[in-house]
Amino acid sequence: MKNLDSVLAAYLAVWAIFFVYQFTVSRRLARLQDEVERLKGALKR
Amino acid sequence: MATLSASASAQAGTPGHPHSAQLTETLLVALLLAVAGYCALFVAPTEATMGLIQRIFYFHVPSWWSAFVAFAIVLVSNLAYLRSRNPKWDWLGVSAAEVGVAFVTVGLVTGPIWAHPVWGIWWTWDARLTSAFVLWVLYVSYLLLRNLIEEPERRAVISAVFGIFAAVDIPLVYFSIWFFRTQHPQPVIGDGGSLDPTMGKVLLLCWAAMLGILVLLVRQRYRVEALRWDVDRLRLDAARNGNESGAR
Amino acid sequence: MAFARPTAILLGKELQTEFRTRELLTTTVVFVLMVLVLFSFTFDPTSVESRRFAPGLLWLTLLFAGSLMLHPSFTREQTNDTLAALRLAPIDPTAILAAKILANGCFLLVAEALLLPIFAALYNLHVGRVLGRFCVVLILGTLALATIGTVFSAISSQARMRELLLPLLLLPVLTPALIASTEATAGLFDDTPYLSPQWVGLLVAFDAIFLTVTWLFGEYLLEE
Repeated sequence: MKNLDSVLAAYLAVWAIFFVYQFTVSRRLARLQDEVERLKGALKR
Repeated sequence: MATLSASASAQAGTPGHPHSAQLTETLLVALLLAVAGYCALFVAPTEATMGLIQRIFYFHVPSWWSAFVAFAIVLVSNLAYLRSRNPKWDWLGVSAAEVGVAFVTVGLVTGPIWAHPVWGIWWTWDARLTSAFVLWVLYVSYLLLRNLIEEPERRAVISAVFGIFAAVDIPLVYFSIWFFRTQHPQPVIGDGGSLDPTMGKVLLLCWAAMLGILVLLVRQRYRVEALRWDVDRLRLDAARNGNESGAR
Repeated sequence: MAFARPTAILLGKELQTEFRTRELLTTTVVFVLMVLVLFSFTFDPTSVESRRFAPGLLWLTLLFAGSLMLHPSFTREQTNDTLAALRLAPIDPTAILAAKILANGCFLLVAEALLLPIFAALYNLHVGRVLGRFCVVLILGTLALATIGTVFSAISSQARMRELLLPLLLLPVLTPALIASTEATAGLFDDTPYLSPQWVGLLVAFDAIFLTVTWLFGEYLLEE
């Protein structure tokens, strides 16, 4: 099937863009959650 | 102190907030996406002229629609923030803007991938693609502007005003570029032609899937802003406590 | 709150400040001249091609010159925090913006008036027969640049990297006005000169819309 590679490339690109974005957001989220825990712990003392 | 711990657990997904709910939503959207993808590849009839490559259309077109939904949310958030000064509108605004940029990126990437096998060129200054490019730069500028202002309230106010200018500009951009192209025609990357009803249904299904992704991503990003807020508050409290205990 | 009179007074202040030293004006004119000359090296300005590219060059150059020239509009106020003093006055804060927009518009128009003969000479354009209509396009386009430029100058003056930020913000938003001005100008320098009603209409709409948006939301930019 001609152009199959282009179709797959497009689908892969779509998936990759969303996945990369989601990944960066969840990393920030995790880091911020750690920071919140750390600060709350420091305040308790 | 009490308020911020409440907000932290309510918004951050820390213990107290059902992670299971988030997981269900993610799985739902993943399922929707899988179904949409399957339909786009196998259920939709093959287009007469372009053949297989036309199936990119099922994600290329809804990504524009979803981007516009996202930017509409940005405009509403900007207006609401200026009126109420509630920081939550600012959080929603930046989240929707980032996700909107992601959707425009998808459109700008799938466009050339579609164009190349069909017309032999990667890019053409066709009206929709050019306008989308300006749209991308516009909202990337919005995000860059935010990064360059430190103080949270000033940042929210200023980016809200810029956001309104940008949103109002969008129809003008589209119209001016479209009209320019009618005077100076160029090859068009587009769907063209009428839509078979099955194709129409698959298109809407794919759009629904994309809207699901939109909601998920915006919510995630919103939580990041909410947590940033909590972190700032906690840091302020920590600094205040430090001063009180005479730790100078 | 008072609007018209404070605007007029502030406009007078802006014009006086600039014409005392004329530094903005001279720097802008020299910059545009330099760019026009440099551009002539990229293609032969005596050929028919030049008439195709000249309108785009003119407006692009004005856009760049404007984004440099509009920059001090608010940063100048920051050294002695004079903006705070203006805010304390019992006037509508939008008057401050209006005065600056008008002043910047004036400066740009003066710069354009000085540059036009040179531009016409460099690119062999017959400006005389379309002068009136050309002025219409110039004024509308300059108003667009002055309005957005002043507002975005207020925005970027409160951010880091402001010298780079202003052009970055300005260019995408001004795209419709840039296209409209260039196309309208190109029509005027055609073999049979005509003033395109659609492009002029778009410019009018652009100016009207953004002046309204500025009037509605501009004051938020001047807050403490």
